[in-house]
Amino acid sequence: MIRCNNLHVTFNHGLPTEKLALRGVDLTIPSGEFVTVIGSNGAGKSTLLNTIAGDIKSTRGEIFFGERNVTKLPATGRTKDIARVFQDPLAGTCGDLTVEENMSLAYGRGKRGTLAFALNNKLRAVFKEQLSRLNLGLEDRLDSEMGLLSGGQRQSVSLLMSALQPSSILLLDEHTAALDPKTAALIMDISSQIIAEKQLTVMMVTHSMRQALDHGSRTVMLHEGKIIFDLEGKERANYEVKDLLNLFAQARNDGEELDDDKLLLGS
Amino acid sequence: MSVFAFLGTLEIGFIYGLVAIGVYITFRILDFPDLTVDGSFTLGAAVTATLIVAGQNVFFATLLGTLAASCAGLLTAWLNLRFNILHLLASILTMTALYTINLRVMGKPNVALIMEPTILTPFEGMFGLPDMVMKVIFVAIFAVIAALLVAWFLNTQYGLAMRAVGSNKRMAQANGIVVTEKVYIGLALSNGLVGLAGALFAQTNGFADSTMGIGTIVVGLAAVIIGQSLFASRSMWVIALSCIVGSILYRVAVSLALNADFLGFKASDLNLITAVLVALALVFPKLRSEWKAKQAEGNNG
Repeated sequence: MIRCNNLHVTFNHGLPTEKLALRGVDLTIPSGEFVTVIGSNGAGKSTLLNTIAGDIKSTRGEIFFGERNVTKLPATGRTKDIARVFQDPLAGTCGDLTVEENMSLAYGRGKRGTLAFALNNKLRAVFKEQLSRLNLGLEDRLDSEMGLLSGGQRQSVSLLMSALQPSSILLLDEHTAALDPKTAALIMDISSQIIAEKQLTVMMVTHSMRQALDHGSRTVMLHEGKIIFDLEGKERANYEVKDLLNLFAQARNDGEELDDDKLLLGS
Repeated sequence: MSVFAFLGTLEIGFIYGLVAIGVYITFRILDFPDLTVDGSFTLGAAVTATLIVAGQNVFFATLLGTLAASCAGLLTAWLNLRFNILHLLASILTMTALYTINLRVMGKPNVALIMEPTILTPFEGMFGLPDMVMKVIFVAIFAVIAALLVAWFLNTQYGLAMRAVGSNKRMAQANGIVVTEKVYIGLALSNGLVGLAGALFAQTNGFADSTMGIGTIVVGLAAVIIGQSLFASRSMWVIALSCIVGSILYRVAVSLALNADFLGFKASDLNLITAVLVALALVFPKLRSEWKAKQAEGNNG
């Protein structure tokens, strides 16, 4: 379970460029729930995700994983509970290490590295088996440098890596945004499989309203650092992209025009 | 080149092989260009030589020289990690400070070890080998063992985590690797190896001198680059050993250049030769790939 209490994040505090990225976010995600997070650019989606992961320190408020208060814990200390996949396919893996070396790192996520060999045949067999699920032929390329793989392949491996070590929480940060539609669909399929199989608590940030409604069981929209609506259950099941857009327009009582066309392209 | 000169070249080649492995760890593994080594090489030599002259056990003296150099690496890492000083600048600051510290440690610019016992003394005359050959075998064993240990280390979970830190900090952190810790350990290890090289150099050559460390970084880099361009491999075992081979080849190239009468070089031209050799080693792989690309173009067109 993830619980955020009155979370505030301010960048460049006290400077002319001060930005209130999060302004009092209260969000509880029960164990095993898959929440999609939408919002326009600068709404605070990624800030929220990165604050939960520990990359960004909150200015005010608290974060709990289950009953444990992790507000003060640095990112590395939270990796026992959290697995992540980044938007940039290059960010989630080391380009100049091999596929198996990358997987070995993920296999040791949240544990202290020991002086045992990082790779052995038993591990290779595990990695091979996992890679064969992708049907990309990567199981025969264990010793290829990660940098030689395509963006889609790298993202697929990142995704597998996030599930190598048991964790309770999976944070997906627009992890299909940088991929072509076909690969994006494949990645989304594998994500859903892994999430169902491991019963993960998931928070997925996305730019696409279609994706936000099609996946998970709950959708949250952020605007200017606040949650402006929170949809689940039956109500959500009947929602279409255009309903979301209406809701979005209503919630913005300043009557501003929607300036982010990415939001309108509901693919 | 006489046999005598060749043995001397080999000896120095092996000793600087240790430097090359240290430089490989900072430059290539951690992506942390560390110039501290110019100072820590001398520090290893200065501490060891001073302790030996003071009558301490030679092994103890060598160990302390190595540890002192490790501490210099930690200082550089601290300046960089704690205060965000650019890594190059942090290492230059440590290197500059070490110049004074080395003079203070020795109390004078030069300590002679000619009449003192050294780490080699227990092995002198073993198997009836001449001292010159014995020295080479001794430093070769040191360098190869160090290379194998470092290669083993880099293949462990801990070592792999260190490689990840140099390759992609964000990914490393997302997998629970504490980046700062790996940088501290890496710099201590690297400078320790360089300090050990300094300690061995002082004992095989019979002196420690405040200026002996100048250019250590360039020599180390040259060895790494030569080694890696000759043995392109991903295996840590091959890479670590290729650092030593690179170091020896570099020494051979330098002494050939200095010894070739028709070139007319003097011993004082060493640094220019070094710089040119390193530049060539850096340029060669690029030219080769450009040439290959051109060939491929020709074939297609």
